[in-house]
Amino acid sequence: MNGLRRSARVLFTLWWLQLKIVAVSAFDGILNVIYPLFFATTAFLMFGQSGNPEALVYAGLGAAVMGTWSAMATSASGALQSQRWQGTLELLVCAPTRLALAVLPVTAALATVALYSLVATLVWGRVVFGIEVQIASPVAFVVALAVTLASLATFGFLLSVTVVRYRTGWALGNLLEYPGWLLCGFLVPLDLFPGWVQWLAQTLPPTWGMAAIRSAAAGQTPWGEIAVCAGLGLGYAVLATILSERLVDSARRNATLALT
Amino acid sequence: MSILEARELRRSFATTTGVLRRRTDPVEAVRGVSFHIDRGEVFGLLGPNGAGKTTTIKMLITLLLPTSGSATILGHDVVAEPRAVRRRIGYVFGGDRGLYERLSALDNLRYFAELYAVPAREQAARIGELLEMVGLAGRERERVEGFSRGMRQRLHIARGLLHDPELLFLDEPSIGIDPVGARELRQTISGLREQGKTILLTTHYMFEADELCDRIAVITRGELVATGTPAELKARVSAGSVLEVEVFDGLGDRLSVVEALPGVRSATVTTGETSQTLVVSIDAGADVTGATLDALHGIRVGRVVSRQPTLEDAYVELVGS
Amino acid sequence: MPMRPGASASGGASLLAAFRVVFVGGVISFRALFNWLNPYIYVPTMLIAPVFQILLFAYVGRSAGVADDGFYVIGNAVQYASIPCLFAMANTIAGERFTQTLGIVLSTPVNRVALFVGRSLPVVANGWFVAMVALFVGGRVLGVDLPLRVWPGIALCVVVASASCTGLGLLQASIALRVRSTAVLSNIVFGVLLVFCGTNVALDALPAWMAGVGRVLPLTHAIEGARRVAGGAGLGEVAGLLAREAALGVAFTVAGLLALRYVEGQSRRHATLELQ
Repeated sequence: MNGLRRSARVLFTLWWLQLKIVAVSAFDGILNVIYPLFFATTAFLMFGQSGNPEALVYAGLGAAVMGTWSAMATSASGALQSQRWQGTLELLVCAPTRLALAVLPVTAALATVALYSLVATLVWGRVVFGIEVQIASPVAFVVALAVTLASLATFGFLLSVTVVRYRTGWALGNLLEYPGWLLCGFLVPLDLFPGWVQWLAQTLPPTWGMAAIRSAAAGQTPWGEIAVCAGLGLGYAVLATILSERLVDSARRNATLALT
Repeated sequence: MSILEARELRRSFATTTGVLRRRTDPVEAVRGVSFHIDRGEVFGLLGPNGAGKTTTIKMLITLLLPTSGSATILGHDVVAEPRAVRRRIGYVFGGDRGLYERLSALDNLRYFAELYAVPAREQAARIGELLEMVGLAGRERERVEGFSRGMRQRLHIARGLLHDPELLFLDEPSIGIDPVGARELRQTISGLREQGKTILLTTHYMFEADELCDRIAVITRGELVATGTPAELKARVSAGSVLEVEVFDGLGDRLSVVEALPGVRSATVTTGETSQTLVVSIDAGADVTGATLDALHGIRVGRVVSRQPTLEDAYVELVGS
Repeated sequence: MPMRPGASASGGASLLAAFRVVFVGGVISFRALFNWLNPYIYVPTMLIAPVFQILLFAYVGRSAGVADDGFYVIGNAVQYASIPCLFAMANTIAGERFTQTLGIVLSTPVNRVALFVGRSLPVVANGWFVAMVALFVGGRVLGVDLPLRVWPGIALCVVVASASCTGLGLLQASIALRVRSTAVLSNIVFGVLLVFCGTNVALDALPAWMAGVGRVLPLTHAIEGARRVAGGAGLGEVAGLLAREAALGVAFTVAGLLALRYVEGQSRRHATLELQ
């Protein structure tokens, strides 16, 4: 119990301090906000042509969550790499706390700043395209959003420990951006895809998070979808924790941790 | 009582060479290093770049596994009980890296206080104490990106001391720091010694090692070539004295002429900004000043000094041989 | 303009020298600046990502029920040529500033136009290749069959598109010399092209002012031309479109060269060129 309390404290403090780091970075901020807006704009124009206002609301909500995916896919893959350049990764490993507890707050902070993009896209849709997203169950909506972001953080955690050993890991992160946009039901309903693609899509936590957010906005019960999203997120966290322990073991054996 | 015990530590790396036909060669960075550090001691590990200092340290702080050999810190094995070792040691390296630039000094310390499980109730007091000790009190709310190298280095030391470790590793802490900053850093390290901390220090500055270390080990090409107090090292290598001759022209083959003079143990050249200095180490009782100047006939000569050997002389001989 | 002794006497030789600067210098500088562009980066960003962009918008199109897959395959494949064109030009110029060689290159007495045109040739070739691969693979994946006889015409449209987009890349790169992060600017220009060039929304479906902007950007006319060729139009019918695309390319290239000269003059005064 004591260990659990300490873990929560470490996670919270490190998340808050990492948030201070990423929240002020102009580069991450501007590009993460502006870039998805171009895609959102394109989607709004395309759905606008269909003349169906419901389709536009569908796109408005989807495009907003879409930006959080890109923020995570593109920055999580570089998150540990940049700690490595800075020389702090070695210090994190050297500390008696498990590496997982030191890395998860980093991607959690990235998931938190992804809210910039979400809010910006909602405002853009409202102001420029007149898309009014009605939220029927605000409490469920906030819970669904929080769980989605948390599951994104654990997904980013897995991504960051997977690619840290590869110098070109950032390219992989960029490559994940489009498939995520395509598969997570942000703009395209899953039933348009072949069966195996739907299966694949259902292994990604944002797919369930997006569905939960839509249900909450429409006033339906999102709790089942929220539970699956949280479960998947937890699964990714466990997997990433195991991988991070193995990463440290292999780094101690093969001297792969520091660049110097 | 030994706080650290290293026995026959070895570490080899696989290096890959070649673009088309890749070959993997094992390189032995550390080949059988044994030493111990007593409680309260400042132990210097000296050696040229690539001699295996940092590799040795990384094995001791649990970042690298030894290929063979073993080490214990306060009775805990560095291979089998990494977490127990990590709780008891602090690690500080030199240079600009290793801090969160966008965070303030205070936030950097809070970050690592959390990772080192410093109890929440003690954090604020501990951080305040350390900031005071390293002379950063009053600057703690500024972001690290605006700090000078010396300030960063002292912040590093504060970070390494957060959990009050019994053993502190300082890997080239004074690298790239200006003379004033380096002096402040030495004062900080002296203060730690007075508090009874055990320290393993690596440095390239011999006067620093001479001033701070109780015992020194010299490592070269992965092996320890000498261990002892600074006085022992000086006495052991150069029983006599040292003659320094400032020269303004190239020495050519004169160096070997000087080396061959009776009473000369060795002769080396160090290059300064405007001149070179010929450093001749001499047997006790011998006087070779006249003979040396004769051998340098025709070369423009500046200052000539005869002095007692320094740690640097001892080091150069140990590493050069 | 200072006299250069012997310049007129050996006109043939200097033409050859300019030719060498264009071709050999171009390939060398491209390779020198792009040795980081190894297969682990090239394959995901240049060959796989554009296919996913095509899939994304084709499926959004299906979901919104507005156009057929072929419309998105062509639009996005051609538009993706802007990624290599914009980023490569920005890297050729800002990258040189980074490695501190821009000053050296600018101070050599070679014909500057030849120099930068030379640098842009491999960029154009690469942009063409990237777009054609995307077109082929994207079409295959979505089952869009383009008959063999339309491919030469489309290939020509893509050549013109890459060339004119590289012109924009040159302009953008010289502006990037004055800002810190060139990658941000390239990404934003890419986004503008995505929205305004009729890539996924035909120009006549865009608000009038947006269509107006689209008509003065590169890619717009080439995308339109490629779509018409795919629809069975002869090259004669799209010659006007391609001529306008080419003219825009020339205009952006000239603007880019002028901007570069201006930035160069400014930075000589303020010493900002080697800033990083």
